[in-house]
Amino acid sequence: MTSTTQDRVVIKGAPLRGTLDRQNLGVLVPLLPIVLFLGFFFFFPMAVVFVDSFKSNEGNWSMINMVTIFHDPYRMAFINSIKLGLVSAITASIPGALFAYVIETKGSQSLRRIVSSLSGVLANTGGVPLAFMFVAAFGAEGSAVMILKKLGWDLYAGNFSLFSFTGIVVVYLYFQIPLMIIVFSPAIHGIRKEWRDASQNLGATPLQFWRFIGLPLLLPSFAASFLLLFASAFAAYATARAMTVGNIALVPLQIGNLVDGNVSINQANAGKALAVGMVVISAIAMIPYLIIQRRARRWQT
Amino acid sequence: MKIRGILLPSTLLAAIIFITLPFGSATEFSFRDGGKTKHSLAAYRWILAQEDFLHYLGVSLRLALGAVFITLLIMVPTVAWLHLRAQKYRPLMEFLTLLPLVVPVVALSIGAQSALPEALQSNEYELSFMYVILAMPYTYRALDIGMSAIPLKTITEAARGLGASWIKAITFVIAPVIRNAVVASLFLTLALSLGEFTLTSLLHWDTFPTWVTSVSQQNIIGAIALSVFSLAAAFLFLFAIGLLTMRSKSDLPEGQE
Amino acid sequence: MSSATLEINGISRRFGDVVALNKLEIKIEPGELVALLGPSGCGKTTALRIVAGLESTDSGSVLLRGADITKVSANHRNMGMVFQAYSLFPNLNAQENVAFGLQMRKVAKGNRLAKAGELLELVGLNTQSKRFPHQLSGGQQQRVALARALAVEPDVLLLDEPLSALDAQVRANLREEIRRLQLSLGTTTLFVTHDQEEAMSISDRVGVMNHGRLEQIASPDTLYNKPATTFVASFVGLMNRLPGILTNGKVEVLGQNLSALSSDLANGQVKALVRPERINVTQDQSTPNARVITRSFLGASSRIICEMHDGTIVQSLMTSHGSGMLNPGETVKLEIADLEVLIAHE
Repeated sequence: MTSTTQDRVVIKGAPLRGTLDRQNLGVLVPLLPIVLFLGFFFFFPMAVVFVDSFKSNEGNWSMINMVTIFHDPYRMAFINSIKLGLVSAITASIPGALFAYVIETKGSQSLRRIVSSLSGVLANTGGVPLAFMFVAAFGAEGSAVMILKKLGWDLYAGNFSLFSFTGIVVVYLYFQIPLMIIVFSPAIHGIRKEWRDASQNLGATPLQFWRFIGLPLLLPSFAASFLLLFASAFAAYATARAMTVGNIALVPLQIGNLVDGNVSINQANAGKALAVGMVVISAIAMIPYLIIQRRARRWQT
Repeated sequence: MKIRGILLPSTLLAAIIFITLPFGSATEFSFRDGGKTKHSLAAYRWILAQEDFLHYLGVSLRLALGAVFITLLIMVPTVAWLHLRAQKYRPLMEFLTLLPLVVPVVALSIGAQSALPEALQSNEYELSFMYVILAMPYTYRALDIGMSAIPLKTITEAARGLGASWIKAITFVIAPVIRNAVVASLFLTLALSLGEFTLTSLLHWDTFPTWVTSVSQQNIIGAIALSVFSLAAAFLFLFAIGLLTMRSKSDLPEGQE
Repeated sequence: MSSATLEINGISRRFGDVVALNKLEIKIEPGELVALLGPSGCGKTTALRIVAGLESTDSGSVLLRGADITKVSANHRNMGMVFQAYSLFPNLNAQENVAFGLQMRKVAKGNRLAKAGELLELVGLNTQSKRFPHQLSGGQQQRVALARALAVEPDVLLLDEPLSALDAQVRANLREEIRRLQLSLGTTTLFVTHDQEEAMSISDRVGVMNHGRLEQIASPDTLYNKPATTFVASFVGLMNRLPGILTNGKVEVLGQNLSALSSDLANGQVKALVRPERINVTQDQSTPNARVITRSFLGASSRIICEMHDGTIVQSLMTSHGSGMLNPGETVKLEIADLEVLIAHE
């Protein structure tokens, strides 16, 4: 780290307007492929979803689908999905943050590598395989259930079910905690030893360090990670589909059903209205997440 | 001091129990042979006997390599250009490429199904293109960070100043220095593509992950064995990437005194 | 602000197999600025951290005003420390950073912010008091760090390479400012650095360290002119190493017969250590012993690089006035202006 990085003046993003003279065009042309690519495969489909959600199934402008999603069963699905997002974010963010803290501050370099690789696998590719693994562990014939039975605890004596809200929350922990570790570790790593030393030197106890310096620095990142976890559980489809047998109404599953054509055709655009609803809720969580993460990077060098 | 000493081991123990519970159970379950106590490799033999196993593994690999190819063709030159000549558009591109993260995959699936032309939707490589979109927030970041770490513009100008043609500058100067960032972004694309389920199944295609789900309908032990196999493979795969990136990071000096 | 005596009494510290400090012994008088100078890894930072209480010592003690503070924890020591870089709390603005130590000492908010304002003015940053660390340049950050360390009216000011991350210009200015403040406040100060110019220019005394030991502690003047060991001689300032022959305390070098300052070497081939400004170069066609390679004009003085017949390169620093004729290729005679020289192994 040289002095140049410290003395750098913060330059706000340059304004994007300006005359499009020949030189400017030359700079922009190589950017065309990615803009067209994003436009065709991302913005165009999302625009179609948005526009269609304000049309009836006959193709006329109508608010019918937008109204529909505020009524059951969709209203209930939104409530369930938001609840699942919140409960999952709460149950995963706290242990995830504590685990990340212990590993980042006490673990060796190689241990941190292993944890980050393992977290990467579980957070990104866990979904479906994890669901099946839980069936193997906690299904009626599951290994864990049989071991517990031998120890004298019959899990299935009561009305336990893996395919319930609680079951889903537990399975989600297995990709949510790793996700928390991935997104929150940089913030812990960014707490410099100099700050502890300086606070101690200025007369602060370790508790005072956390109260005045450590926690205020970690809080924004924690809030951001929480929002990401919410959005992740709220939008998760693969695990939910493998785990539920249609007994819990969740928005992603209902969209899936509408797309699969399991429901009558005159609800085609209801799926798009649901999708718009999902994008809105997801954006409410993700945009603050991205903004906070960006600001926190200022001291996480 | 005593409490500090046991903090790390006890945390690791908790993590190991947490992880072992489903993984150990699933591994044990996958060795069950019909009955509840006999164990054998029957489930794994069954998998290998399925023609579909290699078929869908092949489909997934093909589509993932397609996504890797598109990333190489579109993402890498774009980010390199942003760093070389179009610095002022970097904030805008960063914003645009992050947007796929904001939209749930389910929502994008329904959009792709209703907006993309029929001709494309009847070709399985449609998925390769969509995988690139899903991976874009990560691949863009990986490339951007990798290229920020080196003065790409200066060394390219130096090469040009010393008389290298553009082609020579790209082959002998740009390509070698951005290699690590490119490899990292390609691995990210590959990993995401191989494990993608939501979009694939909602667009009614069959790949390795969706095949595993359909197997579960007829042979749950087989599906569990496949799950064990795919997570283990994914871990080894990402661990290899970890080793690769570790080597490039260890070159940096650390601290003083 | 009462000045305090700081004594470091034979402290030793090992990290695994590495001996970081070996029976270090220093006494700093009230109001004195002592620099610890040495190559990286010599243990100087460890010594400073032990004084601050941020590192423990294996043996020995630290005394403040005669009282043993070895077991006192860092947050009860009342020492102000300035770190190398990045030590400002990023969530607090400059004024809050400076006021932090007072806040820990339960000073009322109004009073501590007022005091912080005064200190920021002292380091010339009163207009930046509401800025956050990331909005300040490296030099400004270190000024705030200095104000923060001084705000608690510390018994001892500890400076851990506070200038090493800064640009040359900023470094020179801030160095002088540290000295000015230290003198006006009369704070006993321990300053760790690897930059000899920095250490020599602002310190009352400089301790040169090597491999966890103190080689010599003395005024900059003494250190330069009367180095106690060959390590000090070659670490502080430039030294020519001229071949010579030692015979019973006398060394023959450049045809001169001089007294050897350290006589524990065996007779035979040795190196005589001579400062560039103690070597005179004169034009000489009859008995030359060297040839000019380059001459660089530095203003009042000029640097002449010569090559002896045996290939030894010799550097001389002399007034520009007297060196006008010493052009490259010229045959010259080198002479040592001293009667005594320090000698070292071959």
